[in-house]
Order: sequence, then structure tokens, then C-alpha cells
Amino acid sequence: MAWITKNSGSTQIERRDEPYLSDEVKDAFNKRYAHRYPSRAALALPILHEIQHHHGWLPFQAIEEAAAFIEVEPSVLLDTATFYEEFFLEPRGKHTVWVCQSVSCEIMNEGKITEAVREKLGIEPGETTDDGRVTFMKVECIGACGGAPCALVNETLHENLSPDDVAGVLDALE
Amino acid sequence: MPLDAPVLFKRVPTAPWGSANERIYVDYDDYVAQDGYAALDKAVGMSPQDVVAEVKSAELRGRGGAGFPAGMKWSFLPPPDGGPRYLCINADESEPATFKDQILIQFDPHSVIEGIALCMLACELDTAYFYIRGEYHHHREAFERAIAEAYDRGVFGENSRMGKINDRAPNLYLHRGAGAYICGEETALIESLEGKRGWPRIKPPFPAVAGAFARPTIINNVETLANVPHVILHGADAWKARGKGRPDGAPPQVPASFGTKLIGISGPVRRPGVYEEELGVKLTDVIERLGGGPAPGERIKAYFHGGISMGVISQDEAEQGVELDFDIGKKWNNLGLGTACITVIPQRTSMVSMARNCARFYSHESCGQCTHCREGSNWIYKMLSRIEAGDGATRDLDMLLELATSMGSMPGHNICGLSDGTNWAIRTIVNKFFGEFEAAVTSKRTVSLV
Repeated sequence: MAWITKNSGSTQIERRDEPYLSDEVKDAFNKRYAHRYPSRAALALPILHEIQHHHGWLPFQAIEEAAAFIEVEPSVLLDTATFYEEFFLEPRGKHTVWVCQSVSCEIMNEGKITEAVREKLGIEPGETTDDGRVTFMKVECIGACGGAPCALVNETLHENLSPDDVAGVLDALE
Repeated sequence: MPLDAPVLFKRVPTAPWGSANERIYVDYDDYVAQDGYAALDKAVGMSPQDVVAEVKSAELRGRGGAGFPAGMKWSFLPPPDGGPRYLCINADESEPATFKDQILIQFDPHSVIEGIALCMLACELDTAYFYIRGEYHHHREAFERAIAEAYDRGVFGENSRMGKINDRAPNLYLHRGAGAYICGEETALIESLEGKRGWPRIKPPFPAVAGAFARPTIINNVETLANVPHVILHGADAWKARGKGRPDGAPPQVPASFGTKLIGISGPVRRPGVYEEELGVKLTDVIERLGGGPAPGERIKAYFHGGISMGVISQDEAEQGVELDFDIGKKWNNLGLGTACITVIPQRTSMVSMARNCARFYSHESCGQCTHCREGSNWIYKMLSRIEAGDGATRDLDMLLELATSMGSMPGHNICGLSDGTNWAIRTIVNKFFGEFEAAVTSKRTVSLV
């Protein structure tokens, strides 16, 4: 559980010896972002995006390291991270499929797209396939209503989807 | 009368002047070749007060939803006191059915950047943050490319053609959000920028006095800023020649709807997409002429005319002559123009499911600070799910309306406008299509009375 920040009962927080934020990453990050904001605390979103970009999710140890790096308490950074939908506090699949479920997509038969993804992957929204390949998420409006129904697959937008397209899109993932 | 030539979409091919398939990224040189940065060069020779006065006299109203006059917002700033001053550009376009700003960001980012530079010049702001929603991936790449071009060509940075603003080199940075609708609210955007949860702040103090990092801050929508170069270059009178003015004899304090507006059309129409039209255009005209009318086999029942938070317009009302301008709320009993991105709801779609979809959205996106927003939206969602499943009772409808009304009709009870949006969306859907809801809760009746 993401909220547990120390070993408790049978739950163990996974730790590793090698730091998640290496010195090179920190240096590059500082050069790119540090001058942009008047406070280091404002680096929270950029550093969380950076960690998630490298690791796919936000391990607790990485949040701790990032908090020390941007000079805030780990609880503060964890508090920020839990608010945003895009941040994963648990491991997710190698690929993520986000199917839009807002009004325009629902009118244009998003339900059938969801059903096709569910059938193809054999999982419910919010779950990851057993082989850790794909995570399936439902998401509110992704701003491509003109091409409804639409879905984001990792960072690629697929518009005007039909249920028959779904298998092809998912098979194209490695 | 249809718009004779595109204003905001001058460089973005759009029907009827071009095809959306021809859209390409307009880089710095292409932009300059088409009047680009001419307004900035003109404004560099003007005093900041004159630039603000020009925007004020153009009566440019914010394009993000609320329609607050941009010039007036700019004039709220206190005079410079030596400390930093910020501009936040709201590109957190998350309102369901809204997809207008992304076209500008993706294809004509320099028009936005020029507007940003003009605003910084006019309001003496030294640093701008472009807050873009996390889901806009290729848009972000396009905009980052445009920012790099603008730095290379001396729009921003140490060698800026604007010189020092507020005794500092002007800078523009992109800040990526992470998937939270509420961060489109201006003070939530500031909180998110500062690295915290996107929780709206209690106002006052207003951002113009103490915004980002507790310093004076202006927050404007992407489309609002993209209109500024046109206003500065061609003057307020040319801008006011388009759109819908105030009625004859109305005093100048009556707000008017000047200029053009980006209009998105989605749902079952022949040509969904983003178009540009003058404010005051008829809703049915937009759907027929720009959207190509309903898709084959579809009949239109209703519209979300400006994102779901503004409420619905029924087809009956549309045929009576609904016009897309800032007065739409007063005339047709909904919240306002919103983002003017229209979702067409066909006959086959149940309004109960639409209301349920809206309620799910609000209960998911409520930040959780105010009790009646957090609990009310979730309660409404549960009730509507139950009604949709066929397990509703007539008293649920009264309860729905009561809940919606008490969520959003008590000014001062909410920190932000999200629960007002819930109220208007749910209440207008239930009131305008009461027959469908009645039929859904009465097992014996299966036919909609509307």
C-alpha cells in the first residue's frame, strides 16, 4: 500500500541499495528545472514526472529521495503525489491503455471499446495483466472529443476507434 | 452572416477556408511571414498602460469559460514593487467535450506565445508558466519546440527584444500538470504550480494581489491570449467589428460579446472538429453549416453547448434561436457560454445516462475540500446509477434536484465553482428532460413524455 511509509505488521516497504535518483539524473534535472521556480518545493511535479518516466511508477523510496532533493518532507511530496491521477503509487504494466469515458465518447459508443479491451486483455479497468504487460485504465475527457471514441495508449492518441481496431492496437504493443 | 475570414485560425486550415487534414505545425519563420510578432514589435514601442487600455477598450472577454474581461483583469494588478510578478497560462483544458485550445497549442503555438509576450509587456510580468494538462503529450512537444524557437529568436531570455521587464529578463516555462480537472481552476492551478495538491484557495486575496508564490499573478486562458496579438495589431475597433455588440441604446456598462470564438463540435455529426465563428452565431447554424448536420440515421435531442458544467440546451430551444454569446446563460436558463465546445446528444442516448456520466465526472474530480461538493456529487452519482439501473423512485427526482440546488446555488458556500457546475449540469438535464427521468423511475411507464 502506497500510504504505508514504514514496515508495519506483515507489510514491507521495498528498499534497494542503489538510489533511484542517481547523481547524473539530479544534476541534469537541476540544470533543466531548478532556475525556473523561486522555490524548490515547486519542483514536485517535474521530479515526480521524471521518476515516473524512468521507472513507470513512484516507488516510496524514490519519493523519499526526491523529497530530500527538493527539500520538503516525504509526507508533503507523498501528499502531492496521491492527489494526481497520472501518478502511479503501485507498479503498473509496461504499457498503459487509457480509454476515455466522458460524454462525447460515451455517446459515440465508448462502452463497446471498453468491452473490446476487457475481452482482449481479460482484465477489468484499473487492473494489470498477469504478465505485467498492459495496465487498463478508464479516464475522464482527454481532450480529443472531435475524434470520439478515443484512447491514449502510452503517449499515443488513437481517435475514431471502432471495437474491431482494438485488437490491432493492443497487438502492436511489444 | 458567416465569418468572412478567419482571425484566430488565420494560419490553421479550417473549413470552410481549408481542410483540417492540411494542418501543419507553424514554425517561427512561417509565423513571422504571416504577420507574426508584428503586434509585439508594435507594443514594444507603446507604454504598458496603452497596451492594457487597448485590450480594455476591445472588451476582450476571457475564453476559458467565465467570460471575465481580460483588460479589466489586467488592470487589477498593483504597481510593480521590485519583486517578481507572474503570468500563468491555463492550458489545463479538461472540461469534458472541450478540445479547442489543443489545436492552437499543437499547430499555431506562436500565436499563443505572442499573446503571452504581449500580456507580460502590458502587465509588467517577468515570468510566465504555461500550465499544460498531463494528457497532452504531442501538444507539449510542439509547444516546447515553439518555446525553444522563441528563445532562439529573441522573444524571451537575456537578449529579449522586449528588454528587461520588471527589471528582469522575461522567461516562459512549460509546467506539466498530472491529470486533475480541478487544476483548471485558477487558484488550484497556482497551488499545483507550487508543488502542492490542486486545492483551490479561498479568495480573497485574489491572484492579482497574491497568487503564485504569494506574488501578483495574472491567469489567462490560451485562446484569450491568442486573441491579443490581433487586438493590438489591428486595434480595438477592428476587433469590435466582429461578434455581437450590445443592443441599440444599451449603456456601455452592459457587457457585449465582441470578436470571434473557437467552437468545437463533437458527437454524431458529419464533420466533428474545431471551427471559428463570430460570437452571436445561431447554434443550429453552427451544427448545420460547420458540423454538416447530424450523422446519417441520427436525430438530435439536445446539446451540451459549452462543456458539461454549463448545462444542456434542448433541440426545441435551439430551434427557437439559441445564439452562442455571453448572454446565453441569462436567456436560456443555464450557466453561461462556457468554452463553446458543443456536444451533440442524439435521440438514442438516454439523458439519465448523460446525467450519470456528468455526476461521475464531478464526483471523481471534486478536490474534496468542501463537504457538499465532495459528498453531494458522489451521492448524486449513486442515485443516478440506481435510477439508470431501474431501481429509482419518484422521490429520488425531488431529492436529486434538492441536492443539486443546495450544492451550487448558495454563493459563498463553495471555495470554487466545481459544485456550481455540478448543480447546473444535473439540474438543467433533470428539469429540461423531466419526462425521461419520470419514465425511468416509474416501472409501468416505459415511454418518455418529452
